[in-house]
Amino acid sequence: MTHPVLTVFLYGLVTALATGLGALPFAFLRTVSPRVVASANAIAGGLMLGASFGLVAEGTEYGAWQTLAGALLGVLFIIGTQRLLGDREVAFGDVRGTDAKQMALIVIVMTIHSFAEGVAVGVSFGGGATLALVITLAIAVHNIPEGLAISAVLRPRGVSVAKCAGWSIFSSLPQPLMAVPAFLFVETFQKALPYGLGFAAGAMVFMVLEELLPEAYDRARRPVVALQVSLTLVAMVLFQQYL
Amino acid sequence: MLGLEPTLVVLLFSAISAASAVLGAGPFLFRRQLPIVQIGWANALAAGMMLGAAYVLLIGGLPLGAAAVAAGAVLGIGFAAWSHTASGTGDLDLNRLDDTGPTYGYQVLLVNSLHSAFEGVAIGAAMALSLPFGVFVALAIAIHNIPEATVLCAILTGRRVAISSAAGLAVAANVSQVMLAIFTFAIVDAAPGALPWALGLATGALIQLVMADLLPESYRQAGHRTIALVAIVAMGIVVLLRTAVA
Repeated sequence: MTHPVLTVFLYGLVTALATGLGALPFAFLRTVSPRVVASANAIAGGLMLGASFGLVAEGTEYGAWQTLAGALLGVLFIIGTQRLLGDREVAFGDVRGTDAKQMALIVIVMTIHSFAEGVAVGVSFGGGATLALVITLAIAVHNIPEGLAISAVLRPRGVSVAKCAGWSIFSSLPQPLMAVPAFLFVETFQKALPYGLGFAAGAMVFMVLEELLPEAYDRARRPVVALQVSLTLVAMVLFQQYL
Repeated sequence: MLGLEPTLVVLLFSAISAASAVLGAGPFLFRRQLPIVQIGWANALAAGMMLGAAYVLLIGGLPLGAAAVAAGAVLGIGFAAWSHTASGTGDLDLNRLDDTGPTYGYQVLLVNSLHSAFEGVAIGAAMALSLPFGVFVALAIAIHNIPEATVLCAILTGRRVAISSAAGLAVAANVSQVMLAIFTFAIVDAAPGALPWALGLATGALIQLVMADLLPESYRQAGHRTIALVAIVAMGIVVLLRTAVA
């Protein structure tokens, strides 16, 4: 029998690796027209909004004010990061300029969101380790669309599928790293959890509203973008409900 | 609730929600036209509150059966998208303050009536879940109706419609809200199994309307960051109030 801390870490690592699977659909994407960028943005937007709905629902169970305060911090964090990126020449691989800033931002946002999720995983393990395998499996599957969201932003801007998978896994690495301390110090982390969940939700919703959606509307017809966002959002909520 | 018959509660609060549109004409008592940026804020405010209402309906419905809620949501999304296409208002630009053609006028009123019809389904379904929850949703939509009516009044007064008539038209466009609230409530009362479907349908339709009309409109009227901030704050307030009420 391995040490429980090692178990939590290994399970967490598996969930991080699963995120890389989200890049797979983009192996079949050949052309990158403005319409593809619009669809990818819309789908990433729907996935992130759906995920945020789930985070807020979970966070408000621990504390509504804390969740909303966390969300406000998340919004401020994005604005701060944009300021920081805005003044300098950003390069993301071979890409430069506005696209590179957006790519950096989505990786940052999704990585931050994994911190909060890692805490949620650790806390739930602490609540009873019998369901550990089920929870891990659920989170691993749940991570796949998050990899999809990252790849949807990176791939149309010229990042290879392998690198999309790499960045997806990178964004999930905080999950095992945060799960361990959260598991060891459940009570402390439980107090921080609503703030963390709110922070992640606020950052994601703000990024969707400010960066992903306006760009999608610029490049495709409104009803089409709307359909893609709405259907993906509902699919994501349903997906998370069952897993 | 209030010692009234449940149906009367639905009638009362959906009527309050519809009538609150009259407040949207308020800014025009002080000035003849609003700057386009402020119309963008009004749109973003309406969008954020509607997204908040969709969240609240969704979370309320999920425990009743996630699959039925999701199926209802897909129906709602499809129905809202179809009603736009079928009425020829799919790509309608609600931004043309200087277009005084008659067709445009009818289309604008039609779009507003469509919106309020789906909001009526939302109120009715929420009332069927529980009356206090329904009252909360009705009041959230009432407040949402105010900036929505401001946008409508801006278009109408741009067409030289008197402000009193514009306010009247804004309320009239909301009459479908009252009818569909009572209709939905009655249907769900008769067939309780339809409740998760109705909640899902309302959720899907509201999300689709936000994404197809309110948000894209607002992005053209004010900066992306301002729109995102106004919408997310409006959404947060609805979510927070919901947990305060529950």
